[in-house]
Amino acid sequence: MMRKQSRGSTVVAALAAAALGAVVSVAVTSTASQGQDQAPRQARTPDGRPNFNGVWQANNEAHWDLEAHEARPGMVMQPGIYDYEYAKVPAAPVVALGAAAGVPGSLGVVQGDGRIPYRPEALQVKQENAEHWIDRDPELKCYLPGIPRAMYMPYPFQIVHGTDKIHMTFGFSNAARVIHLDEVDLPPDYTYMGHSIGRWDGDTLVVDVTEFNGKTWFDRAGNFHSEALRLTERFTPMSPDAIWYDVTMTDPETFTEPWSIAMPLYRRLEPNATALDYPCIEFAEEFMYGHLRREQLVKRWEGETMIVEITRKIPQGDRLHEWYRR
Amino acid sequence: MRRRLLESLGVASVIAALMVLLQLTEVVVGGQAPTTTAWDHPNLEGIWLDVYTTPFERLVELGERELFTAEERAARDQARMVSPGRNRRGADGRQDVAGAYNAVYTSAKPAGPRTSLVVEPRDGRIPAFTPQAQRQNEVQRDWRLMLLRNTETCRSGARGCAGGEYGPPSPRRFDVAPFYNTGRMNRHDGPEDQSLGDRCMSGRTPDVNGFRRIVQGADAIAIGYDTGQGQGYQRVVNLSGHHPPTQIHLRHGDSRGHWEGETLAIETTNFSPKFPFRGSDENLRLVERYTRVDEDTLVYEVTLEDPTVWTSPWTIRQELKRQSNEQNRIYYEPRCHEGNYGLPALLIGSRMDEQTFAEGRGPNPFSLDTATCVTGLRD
Repeated sequence: MMRKQSRGSTVVAALAAAALGAVVSVAVTSTASQGQDQAPRQARTPDGRPNFNGVWQANNEAHWDLEAHEARPGMVMQPGIYDYEYAKVPAAPVVALGAAAGVPGSLGVVQGDGRIPYRPEALQVKQENAEHWIDRDPELKCYLPGIPRAMYMPYPFQIVHGTDKIHMTFGFSNAARVIHLDEVDLPPDYTYMGHSIGRWDGDTLVVDVTEFNGKTWFDRAGNFHSEALRLTERFTPMSPDAIWYDVTMTDPETFTEPWSIAMPLYRRLEPNATALDYPCIEFAEEFMYGHLRREQLVKRWEGETMIVEITRKIPQGDRLHEWYRR
Repeated sequence: MRRRLLESLGVASVIAALMVLLQLTEVVVGGQAPTTTAWDHPNLEGIWLDVYTTPFERLVELGERELFTAEERAARDQARMVSPGRNRRGADGRQDVAGAYNAVYTSAKPAGPRTSLVVEPRDGRIPAFTPQAQRQNEVQRDWRLMLLRNTETCRSGARGCAGGEYGPPSPRRFDVAPFYNTGRMNRHDGPEDQSLGDRCMSGRTPDVNGFRRIVQGADAIAIGYDTGQGQGYQRVVNLSGHHPPTQIHLRHGDSRGHWEGETLAIETTNFSPKFPFRGSDENLRLVERYTRVDEDTLVYEVTLEDPTVWTSPWTIRQELKRQSNEQNRIYYEPRCHEGNYGLPALLIGSRMDEQTFAEGRGPNPFSLDTATCVTGLRD
């Protein structure tokens, strides 16, 4: 599990830079850039625990689907010319975005045989969730993402490692969680983000998360759980700049047995790394309430169904199409 | 059951976004807090609350007097207990939504010793707006009055129409508002016509109402706010690095802090013009200071300056009291948005009003006041 530890942080940063194409000016030689802009980073807290302070981000495809999956050409798909499942083509909501709207493949992060052990009736719900992804996924509505999903969404989050609390602020929807290392009362209600109680097992932070409301998902593939979900998370330092994040999910109403996912979380090493908010409540308004406008911006609504019509113009001076026209 | 309760609070938040529904929390403290954190910084950690209600600005007649007398505080508590506005439902049902929040729901904090949260300028009042900001405010005021002009509120000369006049629906009523709207108006064409509170975005920096939890790391401090009925938010104050470039606008700005002796000083810039605080704009700059003066008291001061909006900087001061860590009475999961049935209901109701009017079965929607709620009634 820890074998990747030998890779240097420069490689890790370079991988992160490659995946985060939009971040152009990532300095991969982070150790050189420290000092002027950042306070020197201690590997351990004064009381000898691993120091998790910093901006972190997963760098994988788990937010698409925890299980192994092939790359596909569209986030939303429809049957194409052929009747095969593998011959589907992008559907209207994303077709104008070309190759930027596809889904990258992944070997998956589910441990063991790589499958989530659904009960038969729950597996059916999962499949329906996937089929109705844009209608059902709470992420599209900017609802609180829940745990563990928030930990591997494609947005940075900041860990503030305090005396008796570890506070995590997520870029997505300004969500947060507090891991209590001391004793506090239970919340008065079930929650989206769970109630987290942490303890140290050597260098590993072990967190029990309970009090879930059953409204969050695990990914964009429709993987879900019930109110009975309980998590045991393990945060183990691989190096000062990487954490091995391992979570066991227990939910007898949904799964036949406990199952686990595991992945590294990487420190954002660029100078002045800041987890900027992704304030999506506002971003989701058109999606959620557009049909209720007096004058709708989307031109075709049929009741509550948004019919997306694609107009794609070939721009003047497009070399490929100019060549075709000759 | 408890789920239902909090889901319905999400709905409630839309309607009563401006009401502060904090239950008075006893100052229950357990044990001595260490004076420094694990990182050897002055210890500000914990859950903190201003346990008193204090006027934001001072009454003009109090001049530079900073403290109420004991009699004045008792009178203020008494006045709030009997306030008819806290149990007023109206006759036609439309006011019922606002009136339903009577004293049973709106438990309030006791009157505090200070005559205003604003302590600088010395008169306890926000400085005058710049001419530019005054013009903007007039544009906004005229727009809101224009949308009310055919309502009973204006016909009866009620407070909600002060400065406006009664008349037929304005020909401008379907125009795009000539400013970026963040308040409620008497029109509900889409989300942009609603207030930030209706849209679950009323939490803004600085916050002076709610609970806050401070967690201190090595080079950053997290502050989680529980305010405005599920409209709380998170801030991270970085103790290193620098503000982002000026083209980055953030709802809560970008906060960078440093220690000045026992005081945490925070400078916040890079604000978004979409989330104004008392009329502020994107040039808002905050300087906040947190100083722990004893075991249970944290003094909070914030100086606000935005030279395009106010003619001089001004300062708010609060004394925050430590709350029980074990009780953990802070709602750190703001989920107004997840339970926001109010916003679509407002839009659906408006579309229904338009339809009944179009079919000759109901009044012109612009003759109905769906904006001013309680203040629309004749006093």
